Amino acid sequence: MAEQVSWVPDNVDTRLPSAARLYDYLLGGGHNFAADRALAEKFLLAQPNARTIARLNRAFLRRAVLHLADAGVRQFLDLGSGIPTVGNVHEIAQKAAPESRVVYVDYEDVAVAHSRMILEHDDRSAVLQEDMTDPDAVLAGVSRTGLIDFSEPVGVLTVGVFHFVPPERDPAGVVAAYRDAVVPGSYLALSQFTADLQPDEMAGIVAVMRNSANPMYPRGHAEITALFEGFDLVEPGVVPLPLWHPEDGSVDEDADRAGIFAGVGRKK
Amino acid sequence: MNGQSPPVRTRRQEIARTWMRAVYPTAYVPMSPTEIELYLLDLVDVIADAIQAEPFSVDPVEVVGDRLVEAHFTGPETLRRTVDVLGRALLFIPELQDVPQLAEKVVAILGSVSTSFATSMRLDAFDQQEAVKRALLEANRRTERVLKASEAQFSEVFDTSAFGIAITNLRGECVRANGALAEMTGLDHAALAGLRLIELFDPADVEAMVATYRAVGEGRVERVREQRRLLRDDGEPVWVHLAVSLLRDEDGAPAYHVTMVEDISELHLLQKNLDFQLLHDSLTGLSNRQRFITRLESLHSASRHGITLYCLDLDAFSVVNNGLGHAVGDRLLTEVGRRLEALVADEQALVARIGGDEFAILIDNSPDTPTVPEMVERISAAVEQPMVGGVALSASIGVVDRPPSGSDAADVLRAAGATLQRAKAKGKRQWLPYDRHVDQAFRERQSRAARMPGAVAGGEVEVEYQPVLDLAGRQQLGHIARLRWDELGHDDCLDLAEATGVSLALGQWALHEAAGDAASSDSLGLLYFELSPMQSRDEDLVRTVKRTLDDTGLPASRLRIFLDTRAMLDGDGEDNAQVLRDNGIEVGLTRFNGGQAELSLLGELPVDSLVLDPSVVRRLAEQPEAFLHDAMSRMVSLIRSSGVSVVVPDLSTADREAWWAQVEVDAAFGDHLAPPRPAYDLL
Ligand SMILES: C[S@@+](CC[C@H](N)C(=O)[O-])C[C@H]1O[C@@H](n2cnc3c(N)ncnc32)[C@H](O)[C@@H]1O
Repeated sequence: MAEQVSWVPDNVDTRLPSAARLYDYLLGGGHNFAADRALAEKFLLAQPNARTIARLNRAFLRRAVLHLADAGVRQFLDLGSGIPTVGNVHEIAQKAAPESRVVYVDYEDVAVAHSRMILEHDDRSAVLQEDMTDPDAVLAGVSRTGLIDFSEPVGVLTVGVFHFVPPERDPAGVVAAYRDAVVPGSYLALSQFTADLQPDEMAGIVAVMRNSANPMYPRGHAEITALFEGFDLVEPGVVPLPLWHPEDGSVDEDADRAGIFAGVGRKK
Repeated sequence: MNGQSPPVRTRRQEIARTWMRAVYPTAYVPMSPTEIELYLLDLVDVIADAIQAEPFSVDPVEVVGDRLVEAHFTGPETLRRTVDVLGRALLFIPELQDVPQLAEKVVAILGSVSTSFATSMRLDAFDQQEAVKRALLEANRRTERVLKASEAQFSEVFDTSAFGIAITNLRGECVRANGALAEMTGLDHAALAGLRLIELFDPADVEAMVATYRAVGEGRVERVREQRRLLRDDGEPVWVHLAVSLLRDEDGAPAYHVTMVEDISELHLLQKNLDFQLLHDSLTGLSNRQRFITRLESLHSASRHGITLYCLDLDAFSVVNNGLGHAVGDRLLTEVGRRLEALVADEQALVARIGGDEFAILIDNSPDTPTVPEMVERISAAVEQPMVGGVALSASIGVVDRPPSGSDAADVLRAAGATLQRAKAKGKRQWLPYDRHVDQAFRERQSRAARMPGAVAGGEVEVEYQPVLDLAGRQQLGHIARLRWDELGHDDCLDLAEATGVSLALGQWALHEAAGDAASSDSLGLLYFELSPMQSRDEDLVRTVKRTLDDTGLPASRLRIFLDTRAMLDGDGEDNAQVLRDNGIEVGLTRFNGGQAELSLLGELPVDSLVLDPSVVRRLAEQPEAFLHDAMSRMVSLIRSSGVSVVVPDLSTADREAWWAQVEVDAAFGDHLAPPRPAYDLL
């Protein structure tokens, strides 16, 4: 470059694709690089229904937030929140109840940078750059925002994230740590990929993602249900995405090809 | 909007629901299905109201595209599905059935929706771009301490932006460009660095661009937005939207230009493609009938040396099509289109496909344009050159040369079509010029009309019988009575008779003839008899029919009377249907074209069959498979499910037979199945 502009350092490696940007691409967003799109194409080869799955996951997130808002939850902790796109948690929650507060957590640079930008003028929301599998660090950060009152119920959202948590990070322990930090009456909404529905496609996805920044770990129905230890599962329990509280008049979706199980639990 | 009657409301809601279901899977929109449906219902209201407004204007529907984008209905498939759903629904919704020129209006409306959608997508993208720029300017302004974090933030935005971004120094050299720009231009970062940005643009745009940069650099304008062409590394032009603005240093002096580039070529293509689809024949890419008429109109009135119109029809094309399969047929049509276009490449001309195997060429004559016979020779030669699979075709051609100015475009096209029909009647590979005396044909008709009463009285008009077949098994169900007067066929005879007031007399006479022939020939089977409008309304109809049956001895069970649909709508002869039925005669409707009011007649009258209007059948045959076909096939199954059987008149080709057979109509007649024959041939 002829004349290096001092205020523009190069620090993001655009050649290593990330899950956040892949998901953004699948949802039709523009915050992704060529490498992400190339990975997405492979992802789509392994699972042709991937765009639909992304849409269904995002739609589940919306229904879950509305369900929690309906149950009186006014503060949300969105773990693995991703790159802001349409229908972000604070938009949904604040539309339902304007006083709602949201703390977003993601560890990916682009996701965090964009979240910061759109939350610039929102004093009821904040974003933390942390690894959600380190609950101590996350919870300390959350306290510093002053947005969440831990004596009141909290909606903990881990939507489309746990399949990035390897077994050695102890998924059950991670969930338990957040559960123990919140009062009874708080909620957990969780969705994650499974091999139960389409084993071949899932194996393809795992292979595609193996060498990305975010390898994936599908889990079975029993294992996912077990993550809700200490919570009462809201009916109908852990089910394929479109089957969790479908809305009136909704379009028939193919649950067998939805790829992801989802559930909501209320802390006992 | 509030004054809508409940059924209208319900139908609009159904459209909104269908629309919701079609677009729901195409993009993630953070609303419940019910919310989406209501959102779309508002838009259906806007559209349906616009179609009915007088005078007609597409302006009100511009908001539709905006609202779609606003709600994030922005998936790659969203627009296509929207056009699809609305196209079908609007042509089919009862409240719009009586809107004049409905199809044209729907096309115009959908065009406007598409355009506003594309524009909104672009503006929406610009909003995002503004956000990116805000972060950038912010980053530049922040204090030393915050700077680090902001730099990181800027970098994210810069690198991940879907827009190409270039920062140029005041000499116009690129000091930094992002990945998106590299991707758009096909150059890599290294090649971009140091390059004069202006070199990336189409040479034709360079001068204007220099002016733009100067204006922004001198602070005369804050920022400029414009639409330009970038040239890719491989020479391909890329349409882009540009936003150019200025970055200043700490002292406020101009330091850099920031150029944001958005690739809108895809939108361009989409938009062009849509306009194209609405105005072109999808198989050959030639103009379609609609566009042809429009062009004909404008050329006809503007032409200096007059226009010439050639209508041609490929001889026996259906034989080829059936013998070699549709795929080959399609390729032949495409090839013919290509050749015709090549043929008139040197002329101010337009080639269109105006029907199944009908093409039209419109030439705006210049002093050098070949004469009509020369042109005809060239057209024939072009068509006769062997094509795929060695097939050689021939064409019949009808020509209208320099129609008098002031004649209506549709009339000119109709004249060419009529001339073509006359040419075809002479045999294969024939051509005829339209005889200039348009009046003469008209006068001829007048004089015929004058002679009609005499002809009826003098026995010049005959009754013939055309077999009615069940399409599934090709079984003969009976015969339908047809009138003939010299070369005038049934419909022409009826028209003339109706126009001259002799149709009642003619009809009574014909019914008597037919009943007599049927009574003396069992092989004639069931007698289908269509009444003229006047006859259908006749108060004495039932008495006439009963007397005819008594006189001829034809049992009532062998007669099927078809009342004229429009006459029934006017309400005069409604009783006729019921009373005929009470007398054991089966009653149907004829010239049924499927309008909403007509459909409701089916519920009111005791009819158990209907004959479609020949013009509807013809229109379907002329058009490529599209909304209309779909609508018709749905209508047929709807009618049949209510227990009324459907008869198709004037089946002209094997092609059409196959189509109607798969729609599962009950019966059909037409020259393709079997021509009408005089009674003595049957007895
Ligand atoms: C598929 S996106 C889901 C976004 C959003 N929750 C939704 O459902 O629409 C997953 C996000 O989780 C983030 N993520 C994955 N593992 C994480 C971790 N250990 N800590 C924080 N974020 C993580 C990724 O960066 C990515 O942005």
